[in-house]
Amino acid sequence: MADVLGKLKGAILEFDEDAALEAAKEAVAEGVDPVKAIGALAEGLNELGEAFEKMEVFLPEIMLASDAFKAALEILEPELKKTHKEGEKAIPVVIGTIQGDVHQVGKDMVATFLTTAGFDVHDLGVDVAPSRFLEEAKKIDAKIIAVAALMSTTRPVQKDLIDFLEAKGVRDNYIVLVGGGVVTQEWADEIKADGYGQDAIATVEIAKKLLHVA
Amino acid sequence: MGKTTKERVLGALRGEKEGIAAISVCQYATYELMEKTGAYWPEAHYEAEPMAKLAAGGATVIGLGAVRVPYCQTVEAEIYGAKIKDGGKTHIPSIAEHPYKIGDEPEIPEDFVNKGRIPAVLEAIRILKRDVGDKAVVMGSIVGPFSVAANLVGISALLKASLKKPDSIVPYIEAATETAIQYAEAVIEAGADALVIEDMMASLDMISPRTYRALAAPYEQRVIAALGKRIPVIVHICGKLDQVMLDIAATGADAISVESAVDIPAARKKFDEAGVKTPIIGAVHPIKALLEGTPEDVAAAVRKSAEDGAALISPDCAVAPNTPLKQLIAMVEATEQL
Repeated sequence: MADVLGKLKGAILEFDEDAALEAAKEAVAEGVDPVKAIGALAEGLNELGEAFEKMEVFLPEIMLASDAFKAALEILEPELKKTHKEGEKAIPVVIGTIQGDVHQVGKDMVATFLTTAGFDVHDLGVDVAPSRFLEEAKKIDAKIIAVAALMSTTRPVQKDLIDFLEAKGVRDNYIVLVGGGVVTQEWADEIKADGYGQDAIATVEIAKKLLHVA
Repeated sequence: MGKTTKERVLGALRGEKEGIAAISVCQYATYELMEKTGAYWPEAHYEAEPMAKLAAGGATVIGLGAVRVPYCQTVEAEIYGAKIKDGGKTHIPSIAEHPYKIGDEPEIPEDFVNKGRIPAVLEAIRILKRDVGDKAVVMGSIVGPFSVAANLVGISALLKASLKKPDSIVPYIEAATETAIQYAEAVIEAGADALVIEDMMASLDMISPRTYRALAAPYEQRVIAALGKRIPVIVHICGKLDQVMLDIAATGADAISVESAVDIPAARKKFDEAGVKTPIIGAVHPIKALLEGTPEDVAAAVRKSAEDGAALISPDCAVAPNTPLKQLIAMVEATEQL
């Protein structure tokens, strides 16, 4: 089993989607605990993430590793559902880039890291209207709404989302996390977001902290 | 400082110590500047007159030592067939649909510089020369080949391919190099005093130093070489570039415009050791200092940039359009007090 786990992690470190798929299938065939298998993938992604922060690896590596992770996850998730016990349900998160903004890369990275951390991530993509965030959050009973803005012109729409939730009287039902290149802690405070994620790893940490699951 | 602002900017771009001045290498149009000049987006993205009128406000209202057009980075991609999403009064145009999928053969549009919005940009340069050319350096801004390629096939596809199949994206970068040279030639012919190459996607936020050296720098270098030093060329790249500063200098750029994420003193030291004289331009943070800070924060950022060895003061990159004018004026005033 150690061998398969090593292969899973290695495939991520080599950002090799084919190898990740192969290893995931092998893990299923060998009856490896899917939680451990996903853990091995996450370990690889976290190592890459740390190297990314030190500027030893760069965005394309992370993007390809994310693809590899998602591919392997698709194989492993059904197994996970089979073995999952009640009360261990992953915490649902809605994520998206705010309306008017089509930047995808950073948001995808945060979505992937939240998934590796065990969250049940529902990614609405880019150019997402405040009403759409709420609609999905209601549907999946989300605990967290994570919203990215990458342009100084779209950042104010993050505030619109929070105002929208206020107006609908549901603001307190959700933890709202904001992030993106133009977002700062000051901005998060100003619009009364619950947390600011400077990058993917920081977002996972703040999410766990706010949910007290650290 | 006996020299005029314009003389100082041109001097700095020539690597002479004529004194420091404030410019904005990237877009600086703000909602208040639109009010002051009576020229507004979206017209200023498409028509020469309002485009020039709004840009001229950089010199006449803010006091910048250089003015520039256009305001967005979609001009080239649009001519290649990208669908553009108009940004209305408040946003810049963006790419709604990329014209190519990796594997398609890119086609260089014929008569490139007479297509799309390039004629408007060229006419705006002529108007700016006429109206504010005595007091400000007039800059035409084009997008670097790697970044145009990103607009042609989409950034995600380009970045992934840059790692696994770099050969598959070379044709787009080659095509974009060819059209960049045509566009830059036309900018010079229209009378621009300087050229900006914005290669925002060639940032280490996006790609590795190795990819920069293989797929971005050689093409920036080719554009610059083709222009034969007729006017100074400023290369602007976003992000934390410490690992490639010498490589950017080696493109032959007359100046490098960077963000405050770059360690400018360390870069200057590296340059000195290598005998590189290329001036560095920067680095006032457009959000922390200009948008969210006070005039004092701006002045502090100006002083820090000068102490760090910046030859000209500029915002890190594009100014947010909701930035108060007084903040940009504070940047100019603090620079004049150096």
